[in-house]
This record gives sequence, C-alpha cells and structure tokens, in this order.
Amino acid sequence: MSANDSVPALKIEALSKRYGEFLAVDDISLRVEAGDFFGFLGPNGAGKTTTINAIVGLASITRGSIEVFGHDNVRDWRTSRTLIGLAPQEYNFDRYLSIRDILIYQAGYYGLRPREVRARADELLERFGLTSKAKETFVKLSGGMKRRLTLARALIHQPRLLILDEPTAGVDVELRIELWALLRELNAGGTTIILTTHYLEEAESLCRNIAIIGNGRIAAMGPTEELVTQHGPATLSVTVDRAVETLAPALAARGARRDGDPRTLYFDGLSPAQIAPTLAEIEAAGYAVENLEFRRANLQDVFLELVRR
Amino acid sequence: MNRTEATAVWGFGNPVGLGTLVKRELVRTLKVINQVIWPPIITTVLYVLIFGLSIGSRIPQIQGVSYAAYLVPGLIMLQVIDATYSEVSSSIFQGRFMNSIQEMLIAPMSAVEMVLGYVIAAVLRGLLIASLVLMVGALLVHTLPRNWPLYLLVTVLVATLFCSLGIIFGLLAEKFDHIAVLTTFVITPLVFVGGVFTTMRFMPPLIREVSLANPMFYMVDALRFAFTGTGDVPLAVSLGTVSALTVIALAVALRMTALGVKLRV
Repeated sequence: MSANDSVPALKIEALSKRYGEFLAVDDISLRVEAGDFFGFLGPNGAGKTTTINAIVGLASITRGSIEVFGHDNVRDWRTSRTLIGLAPQEYNFDRYLSIRDILIYQAGYYGLRPREVRARADELLERFGLTSKAKETFVKLSGGMKRRLTLARALIHQPRLLILDEPTAGVDVELRIELWALLRELNAGGTTIILTTHYLEEAESLCRNIAIIGNGRIAAMGPTEELVTQHGPATLSVTVDRAVETLAPALAARGARRDGDPRTLYFDGLSPAQIAPTLAEIEAAGYAVENLEFRRANLQDVFLELVRR
Repeated sequence: MNRTEATAVWGFGNPVGLGTLVKRELVRTLKVINQVIWPPIITTVLYVLIFGLSIGSRIPQIQGVSYAAYLVPGLIMLQVIDATYSEVSSSIFQGRFMNSIQEMLIAPMSAVEMVLGYVIAAVLRGLLIASLVLMVGALLVHTLPRNWPLYLLVTVLVATLFCSLGIIFGLLAEKFDHIAVLTTFVITPLVFVGGVFTTMRFMPPLIREVSLANPMFYMVDALRFAFTGTGDVPLAVSLGTVSALTVIALAVALRMTALGVKLRV
C-alpha cells in the first residue's frame, strides 16, 4: 500500500465557517498525510486559527467535514480529540496548578490516570528543560519556558497529530532553533505535525508540504519545493565589464533582458544547470563577467505573489 | 443536520476526566481555604450571638425551638448558596477569561462530564461549609438536625442548584462585575427575605403572599424542616419546589455547556 492510500492524518472537506455575516473560512479542502510536516501559512485574519479551532473542536463547523485519522471530529469527537495535541498561540495555562500538575491534569482530561502519566510528565519536563521549575506555577516561567511548556502539554497524551499555532511567535533566534530541532525530532519519530507560522523561512526549513491561505480560501497548496519553483522562478543576473549596447542573438534567445543598469543582464527562469552555458555565451559575445548572482525564489516571493492576487 | 447541534457533546465515557475536574476544583478551593472556611464561621457566630442570643432572648420560641436555634438552618443556606454560586461562577469566568478552560474543551470531555465535575466539587464544598455552620450551631445553641437524610438531601439539592446557576452566569458574564451583580442584587436580598430571620407567620398577609414567590423561602423552609420537623409550608411543597428548580437550572447549564455557549465559537 502506498502512502497515498493510507488514512490521512487530517482530511478537511469543503469546510466553511461563518460568524454572522463574516465568512472566516470559505470552502477549504485539504489533506495532510500521516507522518507529514505540514505548514499552514497566511496573513493575520486569513482563517488559519479559525481552521485550527474547527479541527480541535473549539469552533463549530458551519459546513463541511473534518476527519482526523479517519475519525469524523463531530460524530466521533472523542477519538478525534484524543488523537490531536494542540499547542495554542496564546498561553492558556491553569494558574492554580504547578507546572508538573499542568501536564498531569491535562492528561487527566484525556482520560489518563496520574499513575499512568507521572513518569511521562517527568520525562517531558526533563526533555524540555523544565525540571527545575516543576513545582512552580506558570507565571514564574520565562517566555521561552512557557513556549516549551505549551509543547510539553500538547504531547502529554502522546497524540499522533500535533498542531502548533505560531509556535515560535515572539521567541528569540536561539530558542527558535532549539524548537525547530525538537519538532524535527518529533516528526522523525512518526508524529504528524501541522504548524501555522508567519515566518516563511520557518515553513521553508521545516515543512515538506504547505498550504497558503488568504481571505479564508486556499491560494496554493503542494510540496514546499514545488510551490517555490512553480510560483517564483529563479533569476540569474550577470554584471559585465562594459555597457551592453546591443544583445547578441544567442543571448536574446536565452531570454536576456536589461533593467536599469546597462552593465547588468538578467535571465529569468533558469535552472542551475543552465548557468554555465549562459556564462559561456556572454563571454563568447565579447564581455568579461565581473559579478553574478543567482537568486532562487523563496516562500516570501510565492507568498506575496499569491496573497496580492 | 444543524452542525451547531451536532457539535453539542453529550454522553458519559470519561470518568477519569470528570475526576480530574473535581480534583482541580477542590485544589482551587484549597488554595484559598482561609477565604472558604473563615467567613462562614465568623458570620455565623456573629449572627447567632447578636440576633440569636441577645435580641432573640426576648423572642418566644418559634416552631418549638429558641430563636437562636431557629436561625441556624437559614444561616446554613445563606453560606452554602454563597459558597457554591460564587466559587463556580468565578472558576468558569476565570477559565473563560484566561482561556484555561480550553484545556478541557479540546479534550474528550462531554458536557455531562464537565457539568457533573463542577457539581460534584460544589456539593462537596457545600457540605463542608454546611458542616462548619452546623458545628457553630451545635456549640453555641445546641441544635442539630433531627432528620439527617433530609438535611443532606436539601443541602445537596441547593448546592447543585446554585452550582448550575454559577455555571450559567459564569458563562454569560462579560465582566467580573456581572457575577457580583446577581449576588448583591438578587441572591442575597432574596435569601434575607426568604425566612432566614423570621417565620412567615410573623409577617403581614401581603408580604406573606409575596414571599411565596421567593424561591429561597422554600430552600430555607425545607432545610428547617430537617431541624424542627415543621415548616411554614408542607415539606412536599418546599422540597418539590427546590427539586424542580434544581432540575431546571441543571438542564439549562447542561444545554449551554453542550452547545458551547461562550465557550466554543
């Protein structure tokens, strides 16, 4: 059985969510395969958090359906919720409990007895560097520790699908790299991860597949790599020793264009393999190459292009 | 199918989750234990000393007991109502305000399990408060219930009723003020005129009629029956009224929780 035939971790079909007159999510369908690392991108107010709330049961569904590992999240809500671990964007910890108890009580709501989860809670505290604060309440934690606790709590009942809403918002570079490593490790261990983020480099670095959402609709979806090449071609710019008066036919055939600086030639949509022959033709036309830059499109470009539409 | 209806989560299948909520609510109570234990004891001592033993010594017996002893059941109701309503409503309001209630909302916890969790914790808290006031009554005026099962039944019903009201108003409140408004302007006045301090027989006929529309009157009267064996209205009427109110409030609290009113968007 190939991966595509197996039950997806998440299947959303024709999901719409309306708040009064406002259509926050407009007919979204998507599929996240088991084991995937999936990025959900979009500007503020695009519908990311609304979609997540609908998945985890914090928002009711106006139309459509959501399945988590084949379990409908309305009809079979207990199973669906047990399979998901959520690390929300805002801190929502219980202020009356210690850090260790936050984990143990959260497991309790998932139906696990304290004696079943104590060892796991301690293990998670250790792994996330929170052991020294186990007896404190969450207000005593630093920003980075609060973020890590969010993640530890989401993992306490060993969910198969981990959903992270902006996990690295407001986090310094060092901690962000640390969290990335943790997430990669979890994903390598078989946990399907869906994350929303504003940081495009984060999605580009972590996610195998992404969906870009704007105004409640999916603007683009697919493998990260493919989306980047499809929507944002690479450009080679070559600066030569003197102004280019007339384009040699061979260069024109390769799609050379000039833009402002008379000494610089631009070639759009080149693959890396075409760089060397292009340079050879420039030299054959009698120019000496002084500088060159090969810029591949990144998610930022794709994102801006799609959201502008 | 109406999806909002479909999102309503009924059923019972997560007893560990329910137990966790009960424990969580009791932990919350223990954190403020001095606030929980001392006000009812001190208030009761003051009421019994001032109204019961000093002024009351000039009042003849009512329903076969001294005025001080007559006061005790009403004081128990006063404290149980206050403790259950204010604790539950503020717990839910805080949970909504700080979003910590989401820890439960994303877990496989049904509305039945959530409401039952709050109710069990409130009943335990109510029984504790009732015992404290009872202890003061026993020490100062040597009064104890004659009918213990009835005493327990009424206390449990009233704790459940005000826990349900606490859930309803904890969900509806937009500001912390809204919760206090109900206590200050509705619950406390109704309890005070609901026969805590005096029997209806001492009241002018018009007030007597109005009192019959006051739900608190039936709670106090039913509990007093457990102490004195007699009441202003027949026990079936007072107990029936309290039971009916409890069932209605509990049903509304359950329905609101299942629909996720102000909980799920």
